[in-house]
Amino acid sequence: MTTPANLLSVDELCSGYGSLQVLFGVSLSVAEGEVVALMGSNGAGKTTTLRTITGLLRATAGSVVLDGVHVTGTPPERLVDRGVVMVPEGRGMLRELTVSENLALGAYTVRDKAQVAAALDRAFTTFPILFERKEQKAGTLSGGQQQMLALGRALMAGPRLMLVDEASMGLSPIMTERAFSLIAEVNRTLGVAVLLVEQNVLALDLAHRAYVLEKGQVVASAEGAEVRTMQGQLREAYLGTGA
Amino acid sequence: MLRDLIIGLSIGSAYSLLAVAVVLIYSSTKVLSLAVGEIGAFALYVALRWHERGWFGWHPSVFVCALLTIVGAGALGLLVERLVMRPMVGRPALDTLVATLVVALLLALSELAIYGINPFAAPSPVGHGTVRLLGATVSATQVTALLLAGFVAVALWLFLTRTSFGLATRAVTGDATVARLLGVKVNRVYVFAWGVGGLLSGAAAALLAPISGSLTPFSLTTALLSALAGAVIGGLDSLGGAIVGSLLVGLVTSVVGSRVDPTTSAGVIFLAVLVTLLVRPQGLLGGARASA
Amino acid sequence: MLLALLAPLGMNLPQTSIVSTALFLGIVALGLDVLIGTTGQLSIAHAALFGSGCYAALALGTHGLPWPVAFLGAAAAAAAVSVLMGLPSLRIRGLQVAIATLAFQVFAQQVPNKWPGVKSGGRVWERPSYLVDETHLYLLTLAVLGLVLVLLHRLRSTRGGRGLLAVRDVEARAAAFGVSTGPAKLFAYGVSGAVAGLGGALFAMQQGSVQDLQPFILRESLLLVAVVVIGGARSAVGILVATLLIQAVPKLLGSDFDIPYLGPAPIVLPALLTAPLLIGIVMQPQGIGGVLHDLGAKLTDRGERPSPRPMPTDAHASAARARDLRDVPRPLKHRLPTPSLLVAKSVSVRYGGVQALVDLDIEVRRSEIVGLIGANGAGKSTFFNAVSGLAPTTGSIRYRDSELLGLPASSRSARGVARTFQDMGLVRGDTVRENVLLAQTWIASYPAVTGLLALGGSVGTERELRRRADEALELFGLTHLADERLGDLPYGTMRIVEIAAAVASGPDLLLLDEASAGLTPDEAHALGDRFQALRDELGLTLVVIEHHVPLIARTCDYCYCLESGALIAQGTPAEVVAQPRVVESFLGRGSLDEVPA
Repeated sequence: MTTPANLLSVDELCSGYGSLQVLFGVSLSVAEGEVVALMGSNGAGKTTTLRTITGLLRATAGSVVLDGVHVTGTPPERLVDRGVVMVPEGRGMLRELTVSENLALGAYTVRDKAQVAAALDRAFTTFPILFERKEQKAGTLSGGQQQMLALGRALMAGPRLMLVDEASMGLSPIMTERAFSLIAEVNRTLGVAVLLVEQNVLALDLAHRAYVLEKGQVVASAEGAEVRTMQGQLREAYLGTGA
Repeated sequence: MLRDLIIGLSIGSAYSLLAVAVVLIYSSTKVLSLAVGEIGAFALYVALRWHERGWFGWHPSVFVCALLTIVGAGALGLLVERLVMRPMVGRPALDTLVATLVVALLLALSELAIYGINPFAAPSPVGHGTVRLLGATVSATQVTALLLAGFVAVALWLFLTRTSFGLATRAVTGDATVARLLGVKVNRVYVFAWGVGGLLSGAAAALLAPISGSLTPFSLTTALLSALAGAVIGGLDSLGGAIVGSLLVGLVTSVVGSRVDPTTSAGVIFLAVLVTLLVRPQGLLGGARASA
Repeated sequence: MLLALLAPLGMNLPQTSIVSTALFLGIVALGLDVLIGTTGQLSIAHAALFGSGCYAALALGTHGLPWPVAFLGAAAAAAAVSVLMGLPSLRIRGLQVAIATLAFQVFAQQVPNKWPGVKSGGRVWERPSYLVDETHLYLLTLAVLGLVLVLLHRLRSTRGGRGLLAVRDVEARAAAFGVSTGPAKLFAYGVSGAVAGLGGALFAMQQGSVQDLQPFILRESLLLVAVVVIGGARSAVGILVATLLIQAVPKLLGSDFDIPYLGPAPIVLPALLTAPLLIGIVMQPQGIGGVLHDLGAKLTDRGERPSPRPMPTDAHASAARARDLRDVPRPLKHRLPTPSLLVAKSVSVRYGGVQALVDLDIEVRRSEIVGLIGANGAGKSTFFNAVSGLAPTTGSIRYRDSELLGLPASSRSARGVARTFQDMGLVRGDTVRENVLLAQTWIASYPAVTGLLALGGSVGTERELRRRADEALELFGLTHLADERLGDLPYGTMRIVEIAAAVASGPDLLLLDEASAGLTPDEAHALGDRFQALRDELGLTLVVIEHHVPLIARTCDYCYCLESGALIAQGTPAEVVAQPRVVESFLGRGSLDEVPA
């Protein structure tokens, strides 16, 4: 297995909410430029995993290592400086702010004005609809447009790793496909590594590697061609019918 | 009548400084601060005592006292943020409300303990001159209140819409978690809100005490309640609303208070607050909230 | 504490009267705590209520009425004012309520200035001869305090008080337990005001005539809030200690007691005391009462903790023993059997701009276990909310052939609909047993006030409810946890308690939202048996939302699958899971083609 050096490695991560432990030793890794899918049904602990990685939630055990540096418990605002951004569940729109303002905030940590302008240009070329609506309040966009804004905003800071929480949530099947192909494109053209947390198995179409999370534990992983066969296993896991 | 209107507007302007402080702190930290009145009052007490006693061989003029009050109140605001509010981030709204209440209580009781119950004479920082305005005679303090409130409104509006940190402040107002995920250091926004809140509190104290003639413990907290009424009527998350609401409260206090009596004006304001809360809880200019 | 309360009997007269006055305020603070601690409503107007009671007592007393009448009148008047002040809380909540009461305080304290008649025109209320002595008045104060404490204890252990806790912690869901939140809140304001009024009456009796408005102004209201918070919400002892510390100790030390470098004690001490109190609020959210409670727990800790998990029980046998849980006082027309227990037709739910349910048709037959599946956000919980009256619903939902829509949410538990919530809808700060009692609110039909005074059938009813609660706990193997604080238990156990509470309310239809979340695999498997036992032995009809489809496949008789608020499949679990649209909805489009057949 000749993978490039790991950008993110998560080792035996445990966390939860008060008396409710959700994660029981989750381990996973994302290499430079890779798309990794973390699959699981509702309540499997997917969002909790992301919240713990980004330091929104305290890890009770285990470690998060970014580029060889321990970042366990580092708050999210400091991870942005290290090139990690998260697209939260429900897209995290700042509804009262305009599209431009949302994008500008995406580059909040970038000091270089020229760099910001270039990033804005790139966002508008990738998502032309955002340019058309740039003075509109984000809350007035449709679900699909909001997903584009969320992706565009996340890319503004020029991240190396993007954590995407259920991009498919609340989107129609067509919009879900569109969102996934945009993520794949971003990965191809910009080389941004992506950790895609999903329930929707379509995510496996763009994943180089995949993990399955169940009851707070990684129960399966796959890479390359195995990712395809994982869909059958997932079908069993979700529906209990067997392939 | 015209005189009452202008006086009302100037009192309302002074209230609006407090109301803006309340809204700034509330919209970014979700803490309803009842301490921003007493913070300014405490700083003013210290500054006036300095004026009187001449500590360090220096008798600051009354005008310098006002500046000292503003700076001191700003520092006190920062202190409250760091020592009391920061450790309470994430606690329920009623807990933090009570904490600010106890801060106000602590400051007021300290004023009482150190300076006694007798009203402190509060001379005007801008002299005792008067100005003829649209045929009415208005004191210099009142004119200053009007001008300062206008200046604060414009400056804050420019800051929030034109600067990157202002944008970050608005992002925190919208959703603090999302703002953090985008790299906004929310603690800095909290510090900013309490710092500016403190400065405004100091300015309000330096203007309101001379308008009412003297300074007593709790007098600024009482003024804060009028400002709070204004902020609620205008919208707790809207700076513009806070200013408009405060001006309205100032007008009612002055016009109804002098034409009828203070009880009736308190009653009118109470009804206005109640009706606002029941009919349009987000206030006149407040943003519409999700109804789910 | 008891000693401290007896100490004033040995003091000189002015000192006794200082302690008495502090205790009046302590009583008012206890009244305020009914709102803050028990109901979660912040009132910043209790000094005004104190004043209302005081002036009402003076008005009655100076007209020659006997003092007990004046006291009752004071309680009634302050209760009425308090309820009036509480009316806005029917529409607004949280901070807004606090602001409304604040505005009320500012207004109310002006009233005696505008209408001096309120102050009884300076006439003096003469105390009866046997109360002239300050010590005797102090004893009367202690008696009233005792009465208030008994009342507050009754409040905790009867229907009214349990409803208040539900309003505080799970307001949006309290209706699912049969609690009508509006009347419950007003009841809390009434009790709170009545207690404050008693404090006011005592003050009136002590003073004889009150011209100075200082005790009733905003500052005092703020101090009262501070006392409750510092003392610790829901801790009577903590609140009384805090009151004495703040109101009595500085004055007892006297103005000739100088604190070195700082000045006379009565002036300096309040400020000195406030500082550590602020630290207390920041550091220790539970106040003095919390500290005392922790100390007590340490002293009495026996080291043995029961297993926080339910005991395994034989699902069918224990259910068979608990059959009489279905014996509840339901009108005949809600008992008559109909083939379909629940028939939902064209049910739509809209939240703001979001269409959460679209024209849904669902039928639930008697004595079936019906499964509800679908991806995240498909509208499964929204359907439960529609049935239990917690969502703005159009269409028709007929239950036992009578329409549910339009009925208040709190009346649905009486008809036999009980439910659990995806994220646990019980009161975490209360014990397991109290929560199970809370769920039976609809059965406790006595008025809240009679419960408070232990009148009517309230005592007998409560005994019966306790028996039912214990029976339901035994059914689920929870007996050993009955007195544990719910929030201290593991999440999975809380969920089982929630089901036990729902079953204790004697339903015909049980709606369970993600019941297996937080359970270990063994417990989840046992839960499947439990479903079947509830159906077979108790004759319950169940609708279960489940993500663990194998559990559905094993236990359900019928199954519905939702996607984006609409029905996409129904049938037996095996049929539903085989349908391409269901697979697609769960796994994404195209996934079918790539699975080897």
